[in-house]
Amino acid sequence: MAPVVQCMGLTKTYGRKIALNQVNLNLERGRIIGLLGPNGSGKTTLIKIMNGLLKPTAGEVLINGQRPGIETKLRISYLPERTYLQPGMKVIELVQYFLDFYPDFRVDRAYDMLARLQIPPQERLKNLSKGTKEKVQLIMVMSRDADLYILDEPIAGVDPAARDYILHTIVNNYNRCGSILLSTHLIADVEGVLDEVVFIKYGSIVLQAGAEQIRQNEHKSVDRFFREVFAC
Amino acid sequence: MLGKLMKYEWKATWKLLLAANLLTVVMTFLAAWMVHIMGSSSASNMVDFVAVMVIITYVGSMFAVYVGTAIYLIHRFYTSTYGDQGYLLHTLPVDTHHIIIAKVLVSAIWVLINTVLIYLSVIFLFASSEDFLVSMMEGMMDAITFLGAEKISVFTVVMTVIAYLFSLFARVLKVGACISLGQLSSNYKLMLSFAWYVGIYLVERIFQGVYFGLRLAFSRKDSYVSTFSHYYDNQWETTLLAAIISCVVFYTLTWYVMDRKLNLD
Repeated sequence: MAPVVQCMGLTKTYGRKIALNQVNLNLERGRIIGLLGPNGSGKTTLIKIMNGLLKPTAGEVLINGQRPGIETKLRISYLPERTYLQPGMKVIELVQYFLDFYPDFRVDRAYDMLARLQIPPQERLKNLSKGTKEKVQLIMVMSRDADLYILDEPIAGVDPAARDYILHTIVNNYNRCGSILLSTHLIADVEGVLDEVVFIKYGSIVLQAGAEQIRQNEHKSVDRFFREVFAC
Repeated sequence: MLGKLMKYEWKATWKLLLAANLLTVVMTFLAAWMVHIMGSSSASNMVDFVAVMVIITYVGSMFAVYVGTAIYLIHRFYTSTYGDQGYLLHTLPVDTHHIIIAKVLVSAIWVLINTVLIYLSVIFLFASSEDFLVSMMEGMMDAITFLGAEKISVFTVVMTVIAYLFSLFARVLKVGACISLGQLSSNYKLMLSFAWYVGIYLVERIFQGVYFGLRLAFSRKDSYVSTFSHYYDNQWETTLLAAIISCVVFYTLTWYVMDRKLNLD
């Protein structure tokens, strides 16, 4: 079976600045993959191109063998680094919104996760705290049976307890036949759930390897190895 | 998916815009009442003063609602398409054409409701005073005589309404196209959108000036006044043609940026 993501010579420039430089990358199915790199390394740019929110300057990305479009959007569940919710909407309306547009949305799973967090479905999103809004957004994303979950910095800016909840939600709710691409620079928090890591630096892929493979070969944690690779 | 997109676009806009239009209705009744009071012989200077103030407020509120509706719809288009909410909109499995059509249709419907309500409001206000009504009717008759009563047929009226509707779509699409074109840059996106609007406005005025100049130059009429009165001969044809061309151009530009050059920060 073809990889869920194939990047071929993917390049993105903003004027003279190179955000992605000839990225070649294949991501296999059924794995939790960490896209790891410091701020400004090109993680979000790569993710946006996969989601069709940015157009590459050169090269190509294929999701399930297809260029970003309606078909790929049906199969990708994307959590951006920012809140994209309409503040005036109620939680129940947001659930209906996802149900209306995504055939793979599991409404029972969404309500189950909302109930566990004691988020009232009748509450308006603007009345929720920033952290709760992020959790609602994560619940919507993880309630889909997607082929690829792309989560951009899902644990940035939240307290350690919330990080645990978020990681727990991700690991327990994703479609086992699909893959998760999880972008972060907080390696220590996510290391335990990763099957594979991709290191990105100055817009180029510098390493793609199994998490266990790194621990065995380098005799150190992924976090420790990351700090060495990206040492200033 | 178009129906669903329209449903959510309508849901996101109806509350505020309904409230604004209800304000128009309330202010109309209030102003009409004041006009009625002013018309009565027993009204004191103080009552007249209050009535005048209310009518000034009415005019101000009409203007505010009209401009406010436009600003709100522009803000809504920008935030939901190219702002943070765009991250959700552009990752929905829907055709870009459907996104544009849903937004343009809902915006055009609100502008139409707003415009019709303001016209009805003014008519109602004139109708509330006999003097006002008579002067309005005289004004309308003068206009019809000037344009030539024989030229006004049911067909002309229907085609004028259709031309107006296309012009309305063209205006909405022009704003969408300018906002979209502003997104082509990495910086100063809103300022560039405004610059595009000003640029397009100037080009439109130049075309309009050239068109009127040519009509004037090639007119068979023997005086400027006569030519001007014939300016409106079959005006709907020109308006409709210009509106259709504008719709096609602005729609294509919006679609091109949204589908081929999307650049969300």
